[in-house]
Amino acid sequence: MLFRSKKRTEDPGAGEASGLFLFDQVPDALWAERVLKSAGYEYALVAPPHHLRAGCDLAVAIPRVEHVGAERLLRDAGVPVRGWVDDPGSAAQPTELVTTVDFGGHLMVRAGNMKITVDKDTLVIVNTSGGGCPDIPYLNIELVGKRLDEVPRPKTLGYTLCGLMLDRAYEEACALLGVQPA
Amino acid sequence: MTLLVVATYPVQGGPLALGPAELGPDGSLRVGGATVPHAQGTAAMLGAACAASKHLGCPGPWALLAGDVGRGDGTRAVFKALPEALARVRPSVVAFHYVQPVMALMREAIGLLEREAPDALLVADAGGMYAAKAAGLAPRFELMTPDVGEVGFLADPEVTHPAYVSHYLFGTDGFDPAKLARLAHERGGAARVLLVKGETDHVVVEGEVAATVAEPLVPALEAIGGTGDTLTGLAAAFLAAGFPTLDAAVCAARANREAGRVMGATPAMRARDLVAALPEVLRDNLCAWSGACAI
Repeated sequence: MLFRSKKRTEDPGAGEASGLFLFDQVPDALWAERVLKSAGYEYALVAPPHHLRAGCDLAVAIPRVEHVGAERLLRDAGVPVRGWVDDPGSAAQPTELVTTVDFGGHLMVRAGNMKITVDKDTLVIVNTSGGGCPDIPYLNIELVGKRLDEVPRPKTLGYTLCGLMLDRAYEEACALLGVQPA
Repeated sequence: MTLLVVATYPVQGGPLALGPAELGPDGSLRVGGATVPHAQGTAAMLGAACAASKHLGCPGPWALLAGDVGRGDGTRAVFKALPEALARVRPSVVAFHYVQPVMALMREAIGLLEREAPDALLVADAGGMYAAKAAGLAPRFELMTPDVGEVGFLADPEVTHPAYVSHYLFGTDGFDPAKLARLAHERGGAARVLLVKGETDHVVVEGEVAATVAEPLVPALEAIGGTGDTLTGLAAAFLAAGFPTLDAAVCAARANREAGRVMGATPAMRARDLVAALPEVLRDNLCAWSGACAI
């Protein structure tokens, strides 16, 4: 078994004061991530402050100094932003803990509590497991039986934080098996 | 003594369904007019609960389900229909399973249950467990079935989803389920009984380890989507059959592992393979494990 904590590549400015964009739904946060990433912003996907959470929430942190430009960018792209928080306090980031189990012919990759298992010879995804949000059984149906290099990314199919964690496992499986992520 | 499972199934726009869960000879699952596709999640949970109830000669589980692929529409539909379901089913056990973890919906549901079914034992796994813990309602539950990552989430009072579990909880030497379960209990993040799934299953009653189940060890079960769900389904069905909660959890852990051994589990198998092995496993073992002997 391999334990590894990935180094976060998207850090919203080390030492910079950050603020948060809030969203009503996780897919909107993931959409904002794509827009900000393509525009070259430094950002991080985080949990919103406790008093602003409704359940399965995800927010996007960026340096406060870039708030205005980033908000305009998101508005122009049509991303529905619920609001902006200047002082998020101790916003938590989704865990980056990644572990693997080698079953011989199959490799299982865990990201948080989500797991993806791939046949090492054929690159076919033979299982997904873990998680508890309603998109996880849906992703199980959509991904299992298909090749790792041919399926859409889990985060483009899913809607929740569980889906995002499965995407992290998928990303790591791609890296370990020499596959370019979709 | 009826189990009611409140959950969703992975069909976009799938209709609301309330009825007894029926496991077909080919492993298909139907609830009311809805066909629940084979997958990890509620299909696996209900399949195992059906197998356990049938073996014990008890009424099978009822389910309140709606289609939801993660947008929360089906989740809102089932919570809206919960009053009608409670009135029709009069459940002794209510299990919340794959639902969107929305705290407000869970708060409303628990308030309803306290008024309309105050004696029902509450079980939570998956999104139902996430919502209950995040809303501060975990101690109202009799049983939760977290895996080792999820018990870290229950132990961390600051987080509302397992994706945010703090690294410090896990240290560098892997997980300590017993320590995390005790922390979860002390911090109000746990049900009265936790069945912590892992290489060794820990059954923790009010923060103290009451039993462990480590054999047979079938590592491939972790890779198979839905084998945690079958464990929850077995435990919930045993509870509804009148087993004390500790016995229900221990028998569920044993049966799930033994089914993994009997099916010759590999990482490429499915939860339905485990459900198919349960009749043989229960027939050969449950009487000796529990004293609950089918006539």
